[in-house]
Amino acid sequence: MRQLAVTDLHKAFGRHPVLMGLNLDVSAGSFTAILGPSGSGKTTLLRLLAGFERPDAGTITIGERVVDGPGSHVPPERRKIGYVPQEGALFPHLTVDKNVGFGLPPRQRRSSRTAELLDAVGLTGMGSRYPHELSGGQQQRVSLARALAIRPEVVLLDEPFSSLDAHMRASVRADVHAICRAAGTTAILVTHDQDEALSMADRIAVLRDGRIIQYSAPQNLYSRPADPALARFVGDANLLDGELCDPAAPGMVETALGLLPLEPDSMAVSGSGPVTVLIRPEQLELVSEGAGASGDPGTIGGQVVAYEYYGHDAVVRIRPDGAAASHEVMIRTVGDARLAVGATVKIRARGPVVAWRR
Amino acid sequence: MNALQAPAAPPALKPVRARRAARPVGLLAVSTLIAALLAVPLVFLLIESHAAGWHTVAAQIVRPLTGTLLWNTVRLTVVVTVLCAFLGTVTAWLVERTDLPGRRFFAVLLVVPLAIPDFVVSFGWSSLFVWVQGFQGAVLVMTLAVYPLVYLPVAASLRAADPGQEEVSRSLGVGRLRTFVRITLGQARGAILGGCLLVVLVLLAEYGAFEMLGYQTFTTEIFTNLQLPTEVPTSCALALVLVAISLVVLAGEARWRGGGRIARSGPMAPRAMPPLRLGRAATAASLAGVCLLIALAVGLPTGASIYWIVEGGVPSVSNSVSVSMLSAAWHTAAYGVCAGALDTLLALPLAVLAIRHSGAVRQFLERSTYLVLAMPGVVIALALTYFTEQYLGSAGYQTAPLLVICYTIMFFPLALVGVKAAIARAPASLDEVARSLGQSRLAAFSRVTLRLAAPGLAAAFCLVFLEVVTELTATLILVPTGVQTLATQFWQYQSSLSYAQAAPFALVMIALATVPSVVLGRFFNVSAKAQGSAT
Repeated sequence: MRQLAVTDLHKAFGRHPVLMGLNLDVSAGSFTAILGPSGSGKTTLLRLLAGFERPDAGTITIGERVVDGPGSHVPPERRKIGYVPQEGALFPHLTVDKNVGFGLPPRQRRSSRTAELLDAVGLTGMGSRYPHELSGGQQQRVSLARALAIRPEVVLLDEPFSSLDAHMRASVRADVHAICRAAGTTAILVTHDQDEALSMADRIAVLRDGRIIQYSAPQNLYSRPADPALARFVGDANLLDGELCDPAAPGMVETALGLLPLEPDSMAVSGSGPVTVLIRPEQLELVSEGAGASGDPGTIGGQVVAYEYYGHDAVVRIRPDGAAASHEVMIRTVGDARLAVGATVKIRARGPVVAWRR
Repeated sequence: MNALQAPAAPPALKPVRARRAARPVGLLAVSTLIAALLAVPLVFLLIESHAAGWHTVAAQIVRPLTGTLLWNTVRLTVVVTVLCAFLGTVTAWLVERTDLPGRRFFAVLLVVPLAIPDFVVSFGWSSLFVWVQGFQGAVLVMTLAVYPLVYLPVAASLRAADPGQEEVSRSLGVGRLRTFVRITLGQARGAILGGCLLVVLVLLAEYGAFEMLGYQTFTTEIFTNLQLPTEVPTSCALALVLVAISLVVLAGEARWRGGGRIARSGPMAPRAMPPLRLGRAATAASLAGVCLLIALAVGLPTGASIYWIVEGGVPSVSNSVSVSMLSAAWHTAAYGVCAGALDTLLALPLAVLAIRHSGAVRQFLERSTYLVLAMPGVVIALALTYFTEQYLGSAGYQTAPLLVICYTIMFFPLALVGVKAAIARAPASLDEVARSLGQSRLAAFSRVTLRLAAPGLAAAFCLVFLEVVTELTATLILVPTGVQTLATQFWQYQSSLSYAQAAPFALVMIALATVPSVVLGRFFNVSAKAQGSAT
């Protein structure tokens, strides 16, 4: 069931266009991430959804109700949108209880509802504290409880984790995700952090230049990004030159790392001609010296250019034999064996891969 | 006439209009009205000058007297401003950056002169020492009375400055003294300049203290002329010169300040700076200096008042003043409360506009209100007098509403600064959250913004109240017939050399003005603490 629909949304500030014909459908109960670099217009989109700004053109529908459309504008207080801004924005002059109860009608403010919500966000018994007595993560949870208190149609999360320490971010993320799930709320998260989007969302909408350029499940976005720039934006990427060779080997692409199979629904699957090929670092593996004959068609030799150790894994940069100096590839490996710079290694690529025509 | 044509705008403009509906139309309209009210004195000064004939006015300016007044005003302004800048900066640095014993205590005492009217300081000195008169007397009295105007902003800026910059400077091999000059003073430059501006504006507007000391400036001369109804062109001429000088000072300060913006990377809450350790000799010298300053600026004026009461015999003095004292205190407090409330209320829309919205119109409106700073009290009172004579047939002249309006105009810029600071403490994002939680615009404003701004609004109110209590010049001109305020009653007694009768009024004024000062101090301490705990 559709919970929120945005059609042909336009917004400009002065002469500077920010959103240019944006379309987005969000289904009920889902967790959607709006992913985009800073300045891509994602905060503007959120503020339009919340009703803080008015669109220049286009319609926004929440549930069955058109909240923005030609000649109509529902003010923020009548939209039933839960808004969790950056840094939480708790009311500093009110206790946690009163913050959570702020949007409730006066009679319900003292009911058990606020206590229930505090239980739900794991802050049982903290109701009488003031915001400055809470940690950053706790403030975010209160902010979420406050938004959920009004039983919103949609909860909007505006980069709520960016102000938290790295070690706290992961746990608060997981909790927020679980809380939204438990409440059955439709949630929209705005973020510039692709890890956050990939790990939390059911669906990710990537925003660039005022439009959604891809809207798909996280796995799809990572393995089949819409274009090379997006491939780089959502993760580490080896982008290689390749050549389609359809008549000779249908569905295969020739690269510096050998002949590789194409994803069946890749952008360029048939015909011939030059293409750009995406190979994720996890799709490459180091082959130990002994295994496979030197003439093994799947492996290719190369030289280690750099080795970066991260504990849980390591990234090795390798120049394949015969490739130009600038054409290095990146391989992610389990990092127990340290490789010296200059060492010769063998690598093998695992398909299928994605390619775009150049 | 054009107003009739306005609704018939071409239809092509319609979409543009619809988009701009989000602009704060109501807020802009109210703010424009307020700005217009504030411009009334300046406009009527120009109208009156025009009516008197520009030739006559010009002839009044080109007189030897103007030269004398200009020389008197300029030399006093320069000397006192330099002395205040020095005293204010040094004491602020001692209190904020060194381990001077009792510095928390001094931090309070050093501000107390703000609560003592300049003419009371003048009274204290000149009633005890004959040599305190003329130029030297004016320098002494005014320096002691107004140096806190530099001390306060400099202390605040030293407290808020980023200690990291000084540490980096030292680590780059720059010595302690050169670091002080290049970094510490550099950080405080805007505050010193701002404080000096206030000092200059006070000096240009001062009447009572100079009259007592027999020192002639533009303001005293305008006041003298005002009592002679035939001298309208002269008063206008002198007032125009005075306004022109103030404008030059304001423009100069804005230009000079524009050169250096304070940029800071990283979070806004600085670490506390370890205080500089003064040696034993430096501690002794600093303590002696600060104590002497406080003794001269606070001790002597209050001591002199007590001396005159004792000299006159306490029972006889208390009998003669008790009735008039009650009435005067009541009127003073009533005017102060009215003007304070009115100013705070009127400053709200402009402050919200300035903090929450952007645009050329709002900038123009906000800046235009600062023109009032260039209008000394005597000029505003003069303009309002002409206004009532011209348009109300003197009906409003010397009535309580006109006096309150005069105060409101005079102290509006002060209130605006305070209210803006108060509104800035309530981020707009909190209002938005409140609206997303189902609150209407007005409910969100009153449940969130007003609550957060309340202490700052109270501070703005207190500041105006304090200024009204210690105001003499405009009060003398516009006070309702048959009514005395503390200031005018004091003035009357001391003019007739009844020092014993005047002294109790001085003490009550100090007491009445100290209450808001304490509130102000508490507010700024609390806000500093709240900022500290937020990190």
